[in-house]
Amino acid sequence: MTTKSLERFSFAERVSHWMSALCFLYAAFTGLALWSPRLFWLAGVFGGGETVRAWHPWGGLFFALALGVMFRRWVGQMQLDEDDEIWLAKSHLYAQHIEAGMPETGRFNAGQKMMFWLQSASAFFLLLSGLVIWFPEVAPRSARLIAILLHPICAAVSMGGIMVHFYMSTLAVPGSMGAMIRGKVSPGWAKSHHGKWFREVSGR
Amino acid sequence: MPATTVAKLVDTSLCIGCKACEVACQEWNDQEFTLGVFNNTYQTQPDLTPSFWNLIKFNEHVDDGVNSWLMAKYQCMHCADPGCLKACPAPGAIVQLPNGIVDFKQDNCIGCGYCITGCPFDVPRLSPTSKKVYKCSLCSDRVGAGMTPACIRTCPTNCLTFGSRTDLVQLAQIRTAELKEDGFKDAGVYDGPGVGGTNVMYVLKHASEPEKYGLPKDPRIPWTVSLWKGPLKWVANAAFLGTAVGAMLHYLKFGPKETHDDDEVA
Repeated sequence: MTTKSLERFSFAERVSHWMSALCFLYAAFTGLALWSPRLFWLAGVFGGGETVRAWHPWGGLFFALALGVMFRRWVGQMQLDEDDEIWLAKSHLYAQHIEAGMPETGRFNAGQKMMFWLQSASAFFLLLSGLVIWFPEVAPRSARLIAILLHPICAAVSMGGIMVHFYMSTLAVPGSMGAMIRGKVSPGWAKSHHGKWFREVSGR
Repeated sequence: MPATTVAKLVDTSLCIGCKACEVACQEWNDQEFTLGVFNNTYQTQPDLTPSFWNLIKFNEHVDDGVNSWLMAKYQCMHCADPGCLKACPAPGAIVQLPNGIVDFKQDNCIGCGYCITGCPFDVPRLSPTSKKVYKCSLCSDRVGAGMTPACIRTCPTNCLTFGSRTDLVQLAQIRTAELKEDGFKDAGVYDGPGVGGTNVMYVLKHASEPEKYGLPKDPRIPWTVSLWKGPLKWVANAAFLGTAVGAMLHYLKFGPKETHDDDEVA
């Protein structure tokens, strides 16, 4: 690499991302412990059933807060435009690393934008239903009956999405993990994966 | 020899509202009683609490201008298919004994309260102090030692009977027939077939309207609870497995999305 690297994510962005990632992992694994008696052994890993019952809601609440910070920061950049619609229609080409015919992407491609909206929406409903489940003696029965179904559905959607997110960031797109840890990418990386954004930030 | 399923029969037509069973329950289970609200009824208090597992409900009823009470013994019904057990995530916190008793083991309870949502009869109560859930144990400790539950032991009118479920179903039918002879055409047995049968059964004078006794018309495990603890688990498992396998196959077939070498020095 001969040229100066570009700043992909600011310090504040990285902090909010990893705060929510930590809270997400805690809430996900403790949530799995509460999901089924067969996974209850996970509760032992996190300090036992009573501890998990007491702290899972807080983990979830902090996850929602950290995600809220990211949401506020990124929501403007996550609106889908016309290029994104073309990108989504041709996303099977993206998956096969075929670049011919794919529109150039800005800071976030349409797949990342969809992940943002998927995680934001599921977190919103997880928070709502989680508050209901948190206080069973206060929440009305009808609300609890909906919440106990909505909460695991949103959790499964969210965790499925994070599995994809994890695969993309570790194996599928080399360089993206470094972008989220130290904040920097090479100009070549930027040009290859986010051409429009590269031209904006490099002025080329 | 398989254990006999035990049951309790509550013949509501014989209840005189003496509340001796409430006292016996409190005493045997060593529960503290704090006087709650007084709201112009003879009923001890409006609802069950974590330390009050057996409430005689004085349901006021008017029939042809005649006032009466439709007594009901509000407590755990010890379902054959318990919604509380279905909902519970903590192994060993709710156990169904071979004799049919559904017992809460507070040592294993984590206080999530899922059982409260799973129960079709709204019986378990979460203690704000101990963060554990409590309900009638059908005096499993007494029954295990060959005794009858405390409430049964103390009932002065034979309203309450304890024994094998088979015997009590017969007794319930005999009592229903007697009530019908006495002119209560609507008399019948209430034993929750929707939850596989309850081991606490009622003889009701108005069997077609159990709501008058504060009992749900057709008690069932809520469908959201059944879906949550049944098919949803497998849909989610399949989705997770599919995602993991899909990611693996994608990597094996297409590999990583590389940065072009000629762009590296762009």
